[in-house]
Amino acid sequence: MTTIIEQVKMFESGESCDEYAESFIEEAKKINKKFYYFTEFCNKSSKRGGALSGIPVTVKDCICVKGVQSRASSAILNTYTPVFNASSVQKTIDEGATITGKTVQDEFGFGGFSVNVGIGFEIPRNPHDEDRVCGGSSGGSAGITAITKHAHFSIGESTGGSIVTPAAFCGVVGICPTYGIVSRYGLMDYANSLDKIGPFTKTVLEGAVALKVLAGHDTKDSTSTNKKIPDYTKITEKSIKGWKIGYIDPEGVEEPIRENLHESIQEIKESGAKTEKITLPISDEYAIPAYYTIALCEASTNLAKYCGLRYGAQEEPKGFFDEYFSNIRSKNFGKEAKRRILLGTFARQAGFRDAFYIKALQARTHIINEYKKIFSEVDAIITPTMPILPPLIKKASELTPLQSYLSDKLTVGPNIAGLPHMSLPTGKHKSLPIGLMITADHYEEEKMMTLGVELEEKNG
Amino acid sequence: MGDSIETKIGLEVHVQINTKSKLFCGCTTEEGEPNNNTCETCMGMPGAKPVTNKKAIDSVIKICKALNCEISTPSFFSRKTYFYPDLAKNYQITQYETPLGKEGFLQVENTKIRIKRVHIEEDPAALEHAGGGTLIDYNRSGIPLAEIVTEPDIRSPEQARNFLKKLINILSYLNVIVPDTTIKADANISNSKNNFIRAEIKNVTGFKEIEKALLYETKRQQEEEVTKQETRRWDGTKTIVMRSKETEDDYGYIYDSDIPKMTFTQEYINKISSSIPKLSDERIRELTKIGVSQEDAKVITQDLFVSDAFEKIAQKSNPATAAKWFRKELLKRLNADEKQIKEVNIEALTEIIKMIHEKTITEHTGRELMTKIYDKNFSPIESIKKTGATMIKDTTTLKKMCEDAIEKNPKAAVDYKKGEEKALNAIVGAVMKETKGTAKPDEVKRIIEEMLTTL
Ligand SMILES: [Zn+2]
Repeated sequence: MTTIIEQVKMFESGESCDEYAESFIEEAKKINKKFYYFTEFCNKSSKRGGALSGIPVTVKDCICVKGVQSRASSAILNTYTPVFNASSVQKTIDEGATITGKTVQDEFGFGGFSVNVGIGFEIPRNPHDEDRVCGGSSGGSAGITAITKHAHFSIGESTGGSIVTPAAFCGVVGICPTYGIVSRYGLMDYANSLDKIGPFTKTVLEGAVALKVLAGHDTKDSTSTNKKIPDYTKITEKSIKGWKIGYIDPEGVEEPIRENLHESIQEIKESGAKTEKITLPISDEYAIPAYYTIALCEASTNLAKYCGLRYGAQEEPKGFFDEYFSNIRSKNFGKEAKRRILLGTFARQAGFRDAFYIKALQARTHIINEYKKIFSEVDAIITPTMPILPPLIKKASELTPLQSYLSDKLTVGPNIAGLPHMSLPTGKHKSLPIGLMITADHYEEEKMMTLGVELEEKNG
Repeated sequence: MGDSIETKIGLEVHVQINTKSKLFCGCTTEEGEPNNNTCETCMGMPGAKPVTNKKAIDSVIKICKALNCEISTPSFFSRKTYFYPDLAKNYQITQYETPLGKEGFLQVENTKIRIKRVHIEEDPAALEHAGGGTLIDYNRSGIPLAEIVTEPDIRSPEQARNFLKKLINILSYLNVIVPDTTIKADANISNSKNNFIRAEIKNVTGFKEIEKALLYETKRQQEEEVTKQETRRWDGTKTIVMRSKETEDDYGYIYDSDIPKMTFTQEYINKISSSIPKLSDERIRELTKIGVSQEDAKVITQDLFVSDAFEKIAQKSNPATAAKWFRKELLKRLNADEKQIKEVNIEALTEIIKMIHEKTITEHTGRELMTKIYDKNFSPIESIKKTGATMIKDTTTLKKMCEDAIEKNPKAAVDYKKGEEKALNAIVGAVMKETKGTAKPDEVKRIIEEMLTTL
């Protein structure tokens, strides 16, 4: 299979970009019949040439593509067609890529298994076992990346683990950079202080190529970084020799996954780096409650705008405006979206606001400080991405909300702290992939991906 | 009965900041066809993000400093969430915990009115009820507003009016608001008779309406029993109870993390402070020192540009005469002609005032010259030379004219001698007509009186 880098070279020597895009779309449509990764197909490109010239790119449904229905996989946004491209999409197009489709997700990102798709959407299937979940919330992005025979990448998004979780379950590379590295302009917000955009690819180096395109300052997103973005593609020239890697060996992890972690630890040692077992007690205890409090408070304000008035699902206006809004929202939001709106609204009300929202913000600061302290001692941290193998769709759908929230245990820490993290496939149990998560300090994407390349090589 | 009752009034004043573009997007703040001045951000489209207009922030910091406030640093924006069709995102980006300014005051005559907070926020869209339905114009959505909140230090509707007058005066001096902007205010009112249980009057538009609403509500509270806190609205003649609305705490404020917190160095704040011009209080003090009456000084300093023009002219002529001429003549004329001071030929105005002070011309002639005051090439001195309209100082000529006038008006002369003082006016008028207004009426009157009594 050709990588993005190889395919761009082939286009330079005469292969047709347009035919390649057509061929990808044809394949994707076929895959979609069985796996339900897409909410929309399109064929959007401008000039060719550039780092991604001719490469077919798919985009998570919550990221706006001009002129293409974009709904965050929610019925409340049915018919909504953005009038502008998200900055990440625009940058991709500017580098010569073809935008080929929108990928399904948990509605507005509200889930870890992609079983919480909106009303009228299909649950995407695991590329290695159709009865199992893809992981979420960027499930469609990870799934298509795993199956396609074409050089391709998908633009995903993570709030609490929505890139690494489906990457682990589908057996692909998912990179979530430091908060602020990739512009959020054009991303339909879940939680503004937590949302991050990043790529899904088959290999780490392809991820580096994609991230290099996506990253950088954007005047349209005031939270985007002013830092100079290094040339991530230089990671293959670097080595981890002499580094110190911290690992977390958490309890309650399924045995094949725990074994896989220890194989990775061994491989790191063989590459000339030291390893050390670490713990993050504050993060362990407070990351999940703090994350859900902040994320849901923010989400409940972000989703207020969806009321059937300016765009999306609409009906003949009847009664007072508040009755109309309630009617549209009741009919079109899925169950999990409603739950999160209610929880978030509750947690920021007078009397609870200080106890929940303000406390959660304080907890976030403590969690960041705990990571900062660890990163003064280690170069990167590894953990299993998920404590479990991809569950059956039926089983995942039956989990209580709390059980479901707890499965984010390992991924929420780096997300709430805004740290770069990635998942790469480091093994298999029977046919099911196992992912390893690497976390690095803020703006240390190069270190993170250097370790990724090293482990990728060991795993062939 | 009302005399011993102590009233407390607090105001929340909203004014539009005069930036070219909106608070969080590049759309123009100019008027336009409905919904033409909009973009994905001020329409609240999914994925759009706010980018703060720095100019608007600086303008509000300027207001804070002029109102003696402390500047919050860091200061950040919050989301105030409520569902209403005029609100593009169903939340308003405003400030809650850290208003740009806090703990200031405004001196209104002898009373210090404390300013609780000054913050910046975005205006919602405008709703228009038409044809049985409601139309929404998002041109207004995202226009920057400053909200200025006082402590309940105001003691009467009259004092509230003086406060607002003073506030608007300062804001116009700062050049941060749209000229002739409509002021909007919420007010809370309570009195000692009712244990200071407050009524809030929401959203009163216009200077006069605010005072009327306050007068009504103060009187109502003096006459009626107030037992519980309530929100009322003003319908133009009375205040009416509204269905109980959420309190501030119920809006579920959270930080708006799309907008990084703002920090201001002392150096930055000082730089903004130093751009504040000399305000009217100080100008009034200075003007009265150079002989301008308190009354004239107050009128002249109502407008920064008038005040600046006056200072220029007063340096070259007699300040007291100039002030009188400004108040009695210039401002009335500008008003009648719907012109602004910047359209006036200041040099010509100076010449006129000088000639009046030196008695080279009469006020009557001065008034005639004022008709050409917007002409940039107009020279009053040259004009007088041509028309010969200089004041008649030659008493012999004037006496001769008076004699002639008496002769031509024998009936008036007889009537006057019979004791009808008014009869004199006809003779004086005749002389003034003959002199084309170049004589002083007082002088003419004196001469004629003298002549008639000695006749
Ligand atoms: Zn706009």
